[in-house]
Amino acid sequence: MREEIIGLLDDLLPLVDLESDFLFGELSSLDITTIMMVLSEHYNITLSHEDVTPRNFRNIDSIVEMVQNKR
Amino acid sequence: MTILDYIHRNALAVPHKPAIIAQDGTVITYADVYQRMRDCDSLPIPLLGESWESDFHLRTTGTTGKSKTVVISQQAVIANSQNLIHAHGYSSNTVFVVAGALDHLGGWSKIFPTLMTGGTLILLDGMKDVNAFFRAMDYDSTHLATFLVPASIRMLLQFSADRLASYSHKIEFLETGAAPISHTDMLRLCQLLPRTRLYNTYASTETGIVCSYNFNDGRTKPGCCGPALLNSQVFITESGTIACKGSTLMSGYLDEPELTATVLKDGCIHTADSGYIDEDGMLHVLGRNDDVINIGGYKVDPVEVENRALAFPGIQDCICIADQHPVLGDTLKLLVRTGGDKIDKKEIARFMAQTLEPYKVPTRYEYVEIINRTSNGKLDRKSYRK
Repeated sequence: MREEIIGLLDDLLPLVDLESDFLFGELSSLDITTIMMVLSEHYNITLSHEDVTPRNFRNIDSIVEMVQNKR
Repeated sequence: MTILDYIHRNALAVPHKPAIIAQDGTVITYADVYQRMRDCDSLPIPLLGESWESDFHLRTTGTTGKSKTVVISQQAVIANSQNLIHAHGYSSNTVFVVAGALDHLGGWSKIFPTLMTGGTLILLDGMKDVNAFFRAMDYDSTHLATFLVPASIRMLLQFSADRLASYSHKIEFLETGAAPISHTDMLRLCQLLPRTRLYNTYASTETGIVCSYNFNDGRTKPGCCGPALLNSQVFITESGTIACKGSTLMSGYLDEPELTATVLKDGCIHTADSGYIDEDGMLHVLGRNDDVINIGGYKVDPVEVENRALAFPGIQDCICIADQHPVLGDTLKLLVRTGGDKIDKKEIARFMAQTLEPYKVPTRYEYVEIINRTSNGKLDRKSYRK
């Protein structure tokens, strides 16, 4: 799943280093919206504003964990 | 009266009232704001002129698509504020949550009417932290107001509709603008916030705030920006473009008299937006008559993007076009011809970001065999428009 998510996001966020350990700091509000939209559609999960936390967006692994917990 | 005079009046009347609640939670009272303005001391809002009693300077890509500095007089700022106060109903009770960039007209222009009427500003660091936005909305007031670009509205409708609706009794008015909002989103907002005044505004750094329409009026006219405001006049030229007059207009582009003369003629700003005025005297914006692409309220000249991309080794030809994104609306896409070389799109994006603002860096990249050109060799942009 990790590589799949990287592939999905890489296509829409070319300026973002998805392997960064400080991912939340690198993302803009539109980047976060894009991630939420792409993941909720692709994995058919429900995400809300409450999921937008520095912890969930700390790095790609925490995003993967968030998706797994929502499935 | 100057802006400082307005603040002075409020500092005398309500010295201890919160004027600004900064991003870090610091509360700055009217007495503090007046003191800092008078002493040219720092405030957590942009002060781009020499002092609060001089002209203001705002950077923009603007109606001609080229980056430049717009000079806005004190009188124009006050005229813009009067337009908003009169049309949207700012008062001393207003608590305005500024969730957009403060160096962009959308956010910047809300500072003055709020402070002039003795209201309270809550400043946020954009909409990255949606929870911070909702915490701001928890402020103890039933006179909340905010400005959100259409992409932020789409995000709230998509991921936080119920939470937004829970503030229905608190949000007095909400303004959008800078980019077109879809009719679907307008209707959904009306449904979620039935008692809130919902405004769609026509404005630019050059023209100031010209028209505004409360689309929660039972009609919700799609694409409508409303009638001309108190200090403004709007009309359609023979070529179908929108032109504006009135005291909200910019003084001109800084140190660019020739460029100024191309858009400011006889006290009238000629925009590149096309539109019409309906039977109720309301302005409708149809699109742009030039190649400039509107990215969430920021205007991008595709030529600037292409010139930078062509400097990347291996790119032989390219064209920058608008690409539809389900959330963001228009985004940038770069079609490239490389002559066989495989180029990593992240490398191109990072190369471009070295000299371009982030919103000018294309989101998507596609390799093509040929870039469409007209018979005289110019890029055939029309052939890429859907």
